[in-house]
Amino acid sequence: MSEKLINNKKKYWRSLEQLAETPEYKESLHQEFPEHAREMDNSITRRNFISLMGASIALAGLAGCRRPVEKIIPYINQPEEIIPGVAQHYATTMPLGLSSYGLVVETHEGRPTKIEGNPLHPSTLGASNSIIQASILGLYDPDRSRRVIRKGNEQEWIDFVSFWRELYNRYLQNKGQGLAVLTESFCSPTLARLASNFRAQFPNAKFVAWEPVSDENIYNGIKIAIGYYSQPVYHFEKAKVILSLDSDLLQTESENVSATYGFANGRRLADEKDSMNRLYIIESNFSLTGGMADHRLRLPSRDIGPFSLTLAKQLKGLGLALKIDTNSSPQEGIFDEKWLNVVARDLMQAKGESLIIAGRRQPSYVHALVVGINQALGNIGNTVLYHKPVDAEIPSTSDFSSLVNSARHGEISTLIMLGGNPVYNAPTNLNFSEALKRIEHSVHLSLYNDETSRAVEWHIPQAHYLESWGDARAVDGTISIIQPMIEPLYDGHNTFEMMNLLTTGRDKRGYEIVQERGMEILKGKDFEKEWRRILHDGIFAASALPAEQINLDTSAIDFEIKTAVPEIKALGAENMEIIFAVSPALFDGRFANNGWLQELPDSMTKLTWDNPALISRRTAKELGLENGDIVQLQWQRNTLEIPISILPGQADYSLALTLGYGRKAAGRIGNDIGFDTYKLRTSAVMDFGDGLKITKTDGKYMLATTQEHQSMEGRPLIREGTLDEYRRRPNFAIEMVKLPSPESIFTEHKYDQGYQWGMAIDLNACTGCNACTIACQSENNIPIVGKEQVSRRREMHWIRNDRYFIGDIDEPEMVHQPMACQQCENAPCETVCPVAATVHDKEGLNVMTYNRCIGTRYCSNNCPYKVRRFNFFNYTNNLTEPIKMMQNPEVTVRSRGVMEKCTFCIQRIVRGKAKAKLEGREIRDGEIGPACQQTCPAQAIVFGNINDPNSRVSKIKRQNRNYQILAELNTKPRNSYLARIRNPHPELENYKPVIG
Amino acid sequence: MIIAIVTGFWYYGSPQYSDVGYRPKQPAPYSHKLHAGDLGLDCRYCHSNVEISPIANVPPTQTCMNCHKIILPQSEKLLPVRESWSSQRPIQWVQIHKLPDFVYFDHSLHLNAGVGCADCHGNVAQMEVVMQKMPLSMSWCLDCHRNPDKRLRPREELTNMNWAAPADQKEYAERIRRENKIDPPTDCSGCHR
Repeated sequence: MSEKLINNKKKYWRSLEQLAETPEYKESLHQEFPEHAREMDNSITRRNFISLMGASIALAGLAGCRRPVEKIIPYINQPEEIIPGVAQHYATTMPLGLSSYGLVVETHEGRPTKIEGNPLHPSTLGASNSIIQASILGLYDPDRSRRVIRKGNEQEWIDFVSFWRELYNRYLQNKGQGLAVLTESFCSPTLARLASNFRAQFPNAKFVAWEPVSDENIYNGIKIAIGYYSQPVYHFEKAKVILSLDSDLLQTESENVSATYGFANGRRLADEKDSMNRLYIIESNFSLTGGMADHRLRLPSRDIGPFSLTLAKQLKGLGLALKIDTNSSPQEGIFDEKWLNVVARDLMQAKGESLIIAGRRQPSYVHALVVGINQALGNIGNTVLYHKPVDAEIPSTSDFSSLVNSARHGEISTLIMLGGNPVYNAPTNLNFSEALKRIEHSVHLSLYNDETSRAVEWHIPQAHYLESWGDARAVDGTISIIQPMIEPLYDGHNTFEMMNLLTTGRDKRGYEIVQERGMEILKGKDFEKEWRRILHDGIFAASALPAEQINLDTSAIDFEIKTAVPEIKALGAENMEIIFAVSPALFDGRFANNGWLQELPDSMTKLTWDNPALISRRTAKELGLENGDIVQLQWQRNTLEIPISILPGQADYSLALTLGYGRKAAGRIGNDIGFDTYKLRTSAVMDFGDGLKITKTDGKYMLATTQEHQSMEGRPLIREGTLDEYRRRPNFAIEMVKLPSPESIFTEHKYDQGYQWGMAIDLNACTGCNACTIACQSENNIPIVGKEQVSRRREMHWIRNDRYFIGDIDEPEMVHQPMACQQCENAPCETVCPVAATVHDKEGLNVMTYNRCIGTRYCSNNCPYKVRRFNFFNYTNNLTEPIKMMQNPEVTVRSRGVMEKCTFCIQRIVRGKAKAKLEGREIRDGEIGPACQQTCPAQAIVFGNINDPNSRVSKIKRQNRNYQILAELNTKPRNSYLARIRNPHPELENYKPVIG
Repeated sequence: MIIAIVTGFWYYGSPQYSDVGYRPKQPAPYSHKLHAGDLGLDCRYCHSNVEISPIANVPPTQTCMNCHKIILPQSEKLLPVRESWSSQRPIQWVQIHKLPDFVYFDHSLHLNAGVGCADCHGNVAQMEVVMQKMPLSMSWCLDCHRNPDKRLRPREELTNMNWAAPADQKEYAERIRRENKIDPPTDCSGCHR
């Protein structure tokens, strides 16, 4: 298979199988649906079938022709602001750990159906990520727990309240001796107040916050550097040079939405004279940020700390006023000198406009060092700001360990767990389940009757954030309210109500609790007015905390470095590194029952419904492993059997495990999916360590990946170049393919009247995070199909992210391309539909009429982009009641046998046109946006009227980087892309770094 | 024989036969003839959202009780309404004008353009029990969409059951179509999503 790319010597490839060009692979490409989609082989022939059906129709007659009676059920007292048929939007917040994401939720007749970001909130800026988009499915999850359960028997909330009141009075006497509360971390004015009241009232009690995945290391590192906990707030848009030390800032680290927003702003190019930022990354696990990086160095995680120390030494050598002792850095020659030197010089010349950031898996000394280097470079106050965390409960593994220890020694008589799932995800050496048995009374507040809830005395169903009252503080200090969209579906109570009960012994509604705290915060102002304004805006404006000056304690940093920097032992096939990585979809496992997230193809591996261990090609070759081979891992006296998957770009001898899978009590979707990697995680090694042994077993495992489903066949679907190339030849993207001037044999329709919809996607901004895929799924009622159907290439996502590797097989670059229906003016699908179910409308959209479709699938066959999806089974006839509530009423729910595809969110277009018509005006540019555009944190997707030369999308399409995919087929797609530009350092261009 | 079967299905299977004339019994014997006809209540007093929403809402029980708390408070016919109000359970009206789920009809846009209530629902103010007067089939809708002139009326006449097109309807319609940019969609995306 040749890659004929004009003027481009790089190779583009989808996977290792493609590169190997095995005969099986070539064969599988020619079939859109693979071999094992069997033909029906039962004994009914066509003739029998027709005669059977003919007979039954004759017998049925016309009986039952009368249509069923349908009812209209109005309100009894209609609330003034609810207009049936018109969506209402309310602001709220989603808390996740110490972060909070401000949202605007669309509701229909009192049911939330779609989540959007709140443009006013600093952590979302109007966008969101895949986890935030999918959280609405968590509200309507039919597997959520509905009743209070005590030792297997259903009880009422009121029973728990009286139970607690008894204990409460007892603990008041002895100031809480034997009482313990274990909570997830939070940053909230009300919860912080309640927590401090609790501590004041029960000084002998333990109040511990712990999360299996958290930024503990970062906070501890900062504390070492400056003496107290402080919250960093990043401004990526101001950084010209960014160095990431194992930080997947664009996807899995905290605040990834605002990070992507800022980073993409620094990346966008208006033309060849514009400038863009440069991203260097050093990491072991190939991450999304690694895919966007201009330069990437593959190092095992444990070498990244010593690398940063060597970098610090280089910087000092170049004259940086860094007072940290770098003498314990490894000797010369361990790390690539040229790479180090170039990075150091680049950081120096961008003083004040650079940013070094380290990931949450790196130990505290690295974070302390990073604070020091950032300060010396003058970045603090510009690209990164610090302020004291207010109302934050920072998690601590050491506190958690001592809590479990106390429990094991019988010192805890009552343990209340607010959220979390320690029986599933606590470090395995702590033996949490055993310790739990020694506790007399245990309570777990949780959304599901999960692993921990089944091991405690009382399980209390938790109210989802979309159905409860609360408040939160964003990382920059902005206060926002959590406002319910709907009454709690089940008898749920949230953390706020539980904490209030624990602290005061009184059962108060969340609304009152939050208002009480609100009155304290808004003292001196007109409370009613300000309260309503906050509820409307979603944020309390100007509550962001001011940045503070920080002073380095270099001796503390020096001390930490001296004691913490490890020796570098050689890694090899016998001594591998193990890494515990958070799942970009399931986070720490709490979203395991979320079908959308399970089926979301992972951005890097494109795998669904699974979490194999990831290793590099070289490691696999040495160990004699192939994709899907099951291996046994031996780590610190624990073993685990897990399949492996080869990910090009992974660091050698470093095995990455994804957390959050293998659950036993997640719900019907999440149970027994994947492998429980928490079994290997100990409190001593929470992030990475070496000494891992791997043995191959005979087992093989089927992995369902979506990446092989189509092939580029040598055509330049991805067009990219370096900034240099772009400046020398600004039209390189357009010139990559010589387009014949296409002549049509019939008179083509002129699309020049009224609105003409088009879309442009900037590949420079798109990181491949998949937020658009989930947003589309949420907006358009797209079903999930399950692992087996995905392996048969029948996933239903209307917009997908195609991932391409570029170049070297071990050090590939990566680029993502969102692909949805291109809405071709000369659509190949329209001409072949035998029943005209898919036609073109006069605004340029390729329209799909589900009721006309008879399921020939010729259209999907003819589509060169392969964006049409067919409902092979009836995915919607068995929807449970809660899931029915989640469906967007403005979009048809499809049954079996119809084809569907991206419609540019026609329901939003129609709604926008109706609104404009009723107000007697034209649609304003930017007023209508499909779900994918609205949620994209990088603002990579732009939609609008291409008939208006001043619209944003028209301006983008006039850029010289703009190209259409497969335009040579004369499909005239309305969708176009802006070629990706990399910004490599001229001295490092095409340089392959020496590793190890 | 085949012609007979085809013609049979063509007529008896069409909405003209199966839907026109549908006059189900409602849970409360509400008479449009009394309220909208004799008393002269405007359609929009009860169906209040018809100009701002795709759905012309059936009024909540509260709208009925606005008058009937005082007027005829003991009437037997109004018992279902009073029961609904006191038990706080809604009245379950039987839907008459039903379009399939894959059709998305927008009342507000039609009223905005100048299509009157009677054009699709018939003279409701003369109906004791509401009956479906028009087939509401796709071809019937398209007949008007392709040629809307005879149905467009001034905004003041929207709820006038007795409006008839004046002599200069053609010129009038052409004028307001131009001024208000009235362009009924005939593409699939106009009604199907």
